[in-house]
Amino acid sequence: MRGYRMRRAGLACASVALLGLGTACSDNSGLGHSLIAGPADNVTELTVDSGLPDMSYYNGIFATVTVCVPDTSDCQSIDHVLVDTGSAGLRLLGSALTLSLPSVTDDNGVALAECTQFISAFLWGSLRSADLRISGEQVNHLAIQVIDGPVNTSTPVEGPPYAVPNDCTGYNAGTADDLQANGILGISNFVQDCGQHCTESPGLTSSNPGLYYACSSARTGDCQVAAVPLAQQLANPVALFSQDNNGTIIELPAVPPAGAPSMVGSLVFGIGTRDNNAVSQETVLQLDSRGTFKTQYPVDARPNLAFVDSGSNGLYFLSSALTAIPTCVGLLSAFYCPAFTLNLTAKNQDAKGLVSVNVKFSIANAISLLSGRGNFVFDDLGGPSTAPSSGGIGMSMAYFDWGLPFFFGRSVFTAIEGKSTPAGTGPFVAF
Amino acid sequence: MQRIHFGPRLFRKLLPPCAFLALLLCARPASAALGGDALSIAADQVRLAASVRILRAELYTMHELEAATGTKVREYLDSEGNVFAVSWQGPFRPNLRQLLGSYYETFLKAAGPRVSRGPLNLSLPGLVIHMSGHQRAFYGRVYIVDRVPQGLPTDEIR
Repeated sequence: MRGYRMRRAGLACASVALLGLGTACSDNSGLGHSLIAGPADNVTELTVDSGLPDMSYYNGIFATVTVCVPDTSDCQSIDHVLVDTGSAGLRLLGSALTLSLPSVTDDNGVALAECTQFISAFLWGSLRSADLRISGEQVNHLAIQVIDGPVNTSTPVEGPPYAVPNDCTGYNAGTADDLQANGILGISNFVQDCGQHCTESPGLTSSNPGLYYACSSARTGDCQVAAVPLAQQLANPVALFSQDNNGTIIELPAVPPAGAPSMVGSLVFGIGTRDNNAVSQETVLQLDSRGTFKTQYPVDARPNLAFVDSGSNGLYFLSSALTAIPTCVGLLSAFYCPAFTLNLTAKNQDAKGLVSVNVKFSIANAISLLSGRGNFVFDDLGGPSTAPSSGGIGMSMAYFDWGLPFFFGRSVFTAIEGKSTPAGTGPFVAF
Repeated sequence: MQRIHFGPRLFRKLLPPCAFLALLLCARPASAALGGDALSIAADQVRLAASVRILRAELYTMHELEAATGTKVREYLDSEGNVFAVSWQGPFRPNLRQLLGSYYETFLKAAGPRVSRGPLNLSLPGLVIHMSGHQRAFYGRVYIVDRVPQGLPTDEIR
């Protein structure tokens, strides 16, 4: 994998060197230029590949993390952890973890667990404390989630794992087969996955959304919704680093039109904290309180709410009815299947409408892309955000989801809420 | 096809946002879960700790509940008081078991392992499901195809 990157970098460098521009390896396929950072204390390698062995993850972006029993050298390195700018917090599959990590408990010593919400799925599992190491960065006593998945028959009475509460709803995606990864490294624009609402006492008029539970035993019904202080909630670990803690940059090379079997890039910690993470020509899009900005496609259409999300594996937007792009027939109906590759332009606008930038992207036929050529990395994989509908009234409120294809050939900055950077205070994305 | 213009003109705001106790008294009983006809909207309001407003359009009545979490849930009722569609938008997802009622299991069976990592779009026999978003920004709508009032464009359900 590393060799592959060096080869690519070598080719890019050669052309630049001919121009006498030194050793910078740039790629101009994106709007901002993209430099793939080399090894440094604040850089860890990213791999885009098919996921865990024998899996077929399309456009999955992964890193390796090291977790340790707090204050010990009892550590485990875990690969294929999905790097997700759409969520906050480190979540690891229980089945991938060999360490025995201590529970995070409430003030009464009762163990905490979480029902983490995703679009249609959830992850359930207990909160544990771990020391996290990634590149030269470290967080001690970090609250992480150990994903339990469906009921485990060998559960001890006292737990964990704990029975999934009735109010934890959606599809339980807590298995290796579903995740096709060993976990999720959530490095979104937010510090916590929940925030202030989860600190409120639960009750009839409470704004506590019920993500966190205190579990007195493994029996069904023995987990109760809990108020959890911000410091104990699942947090974007980057925000807790002692340095380089204001955000991240995901740097990925461009992908050939037909795709690639795998790709290597860099995850850089910090924005404007070192020589290798400066903001230069990038456009900064400030986000609203929900991490969204606006996208117009076509560029003169009504704006849709939008977000950039490395954990989404395609560019998901509008509907077939609105784009006139047919969806695929059969198993791949979640994707677009145009007769030939479409080169499109959308306009991205910050939440307040002060800054806008046009973005070019491509949508290829997903059946052609995914039909068994051994490629798992595509910059032109996309699909509808919502289904066709019969009328033209109103605007769909489904989001314009700039997933991983958006990241190829770019450096994408994710600035954390409340953290200052040379390009302004987060939350923002820049590219 | 009859067009409904989506705007305040066609909606009468019958209720200001009610306080919790006031709602129990002032909301008229209605179906709450998708396809349901037995539950009262007050039950939803209790679960969501929500304020509610009721909007009447030509072909349906919409109950919009805004939870204290900031998430809005809409329930669309036909002329007989049955919920033919639900939708939500906000920082947290609503309780899908409660909101989808007898359709929850149908949703679960179809939501299984999938190739796409992003929005969920399912056109099942008789049921259409859309969900999209990410942490802190969720959206969804689910409707029963053959119970959508005739002449109502489905993208008015939002």
